[in-house]
Amino acid sequence: MALKTPASRQTASTETRIIRFSTAERTVHWAVALAFLYATLTGLALWSPRLFWLSAIFGGGTTVRAWHPWGGVLFALFFAVMFRRWNRQMRLDGDDRRWLRLAHRYAVHDESGLPEAGRFNAGQKALFWMQASSGSLLLLTGLVLWWPEIMPRLLREISVLIHPIAAVVSIGGLIIHVYMGTAAVPGAFRGMTQGWVTSEWAASHHSKWYREIRRR
Amino acid sequence: MTTGPDLKAISATPGGAAATTRSHTVAKLIDTTTCIGCKACEVACQEWNNQQFTIGNFAGTYQTLPDLTHSFWNLIKFNESEQDGQPVWLMAKYQCMHCVDPGCLRACPAPGAIVQNANGIVDFNQDQCIGCGYCMTGCPFDVPKLNPITKKVHKCTLCTDRVSVGLEPACIKACPTNCLSFGTREDLLRKAETRVDALKEDGRPQAGIYNPEGVGGTHVIYVLAQADQPEKYGLPKDPRIPWTVALWKGPLKWAGNALLLGGILGAFLHYLRYGPKDSGKPADGID
Repeated sequence: MALKTPASRQTASTETRIIRFSTAERTVHWAVALAFLYATLTGLALWSPRLFWLSAIFGGGTTVRAWHPWGGVLFALFFAVMFRRWNRQMRLDGDDRRWLRLAHRYAVHDESGLPEAGRFNAGQKALFWMQASSGSLLLLTGLVLWWPEIMPRLLREISVLIHPIAAVVSIGGLIIHVYMGTAAVPGAFRGMTQGWVTSEWAASHHSKWYREIRRR
Repeated sequence: MTTGPDLKAISATPGGAAATTRSHTVAKLIDTTTCIGCKACEVACQEWNNQQFTIGNFAGTYQTLPDLTHSFWNLIKFNESEQDGQPVWLMAKYQCMHCVDPGCLRACPAPGAIVQNANGIVDFNQDQCIGCGYCMTGCPFDVPKLNPITKKVHKCTLCTDRVSVGLEPACIKACPTNCLSFGTREDLLRKAETRVDALKEDGRPQAGIYNPEGVGGTHVIYVLAQADQPEKYGLPKDPRIPWTVALWKGPLKWAGNALLLGGILGAFLHYLRYGPKDSGKPADGID
């Protein structure tokens, strides 16, 4: 193990690099991520008094109140671009549904009987739809909370409950997403930063996609 | 704020407020049966608090404005209705109720923006206010109003500046019929009961006290000739902190925190127990 060489140097000589995400895809992904991060951290400052200190990092409570909604609007806009690009690829097929039923096996690295994954595996697809739904709820309820002085009471009473619930769902999804994309699946992060993966990584994690690419 | 009056509750502050030393709480009593609708209390409030008044449109009623505003904290509501073929004209001064369990304070995310003094007065600190408007949703009386320019909420302070130096609130001072009185909450509740008894003897069987239990009682107490129908006076029938606000600021907060912390902890434990998912081929990353 001590002789481990950095994957990037080693693969450059012995392995084929496969483009995983185009520059456009990576740009929009990170635009979504930054807007999400800003909205999350400023939102957490208002979620709990124990996290209000976060507002100090972002310019104080009043600034956070004024800009958090704009962070949300940016997130929604960027997500809409990402949605247009990916929503067809994110549709769940029969294999995906079987995959989701066996997701517990995937979690413990027992891939026996697990259907092969395409460009996105069923977990990634599920995350996409989850974030799209909770993001829509956050946007709608956020618009209500933005202008309390003109919004009807009933909408405000519903929104103060739905907005944080959707936020907890989104942030929960993010925690899993970040863990999977960094520590849990080595090589995945480079796919979203530098844009490429090794052929072995592709063959192992997204075999259906890998075969498609080979055929082309 | 440590130099201010003793506090009973502070918004968005873990650990709550300092110990209280006062045993008496103050209150305002509004005996609607002796109100003549003179609006002296409205003027006194504007004068003492140095508020600008913007004239609205005449809407065919004696009422000065349709609702409270960020710079108009004391409004006599004039309500016309009919009973047994007779017109009924009711007037009731409307302002912050200074709830014992204030929904505004519970909803507020800004530490110290809303405080409840030991004497029962609920007060906004505009310096700490971030302008989110959650208090407007938390308040079952629709009292707090946002100043659209400064993005700060305002409402009746129960003249805490006057009360803290031993004066009565400006509205009380101005009332010519003594329909308004100020004192300890205990005394005023007793006074209200006496007045209600007198009204009942006087042929007003529906007379009663408005001190809604849904918000733990209030520090602004009414005597109503028709206490069975407070909505006729423009007062909510059974005001409560909206259940969504209570759920959001109560169990949901804990469930959400547990879920998020559990998620992070779970990811760590998963990594320690199962490690990363490698590509299944020894060549990947290993010489």
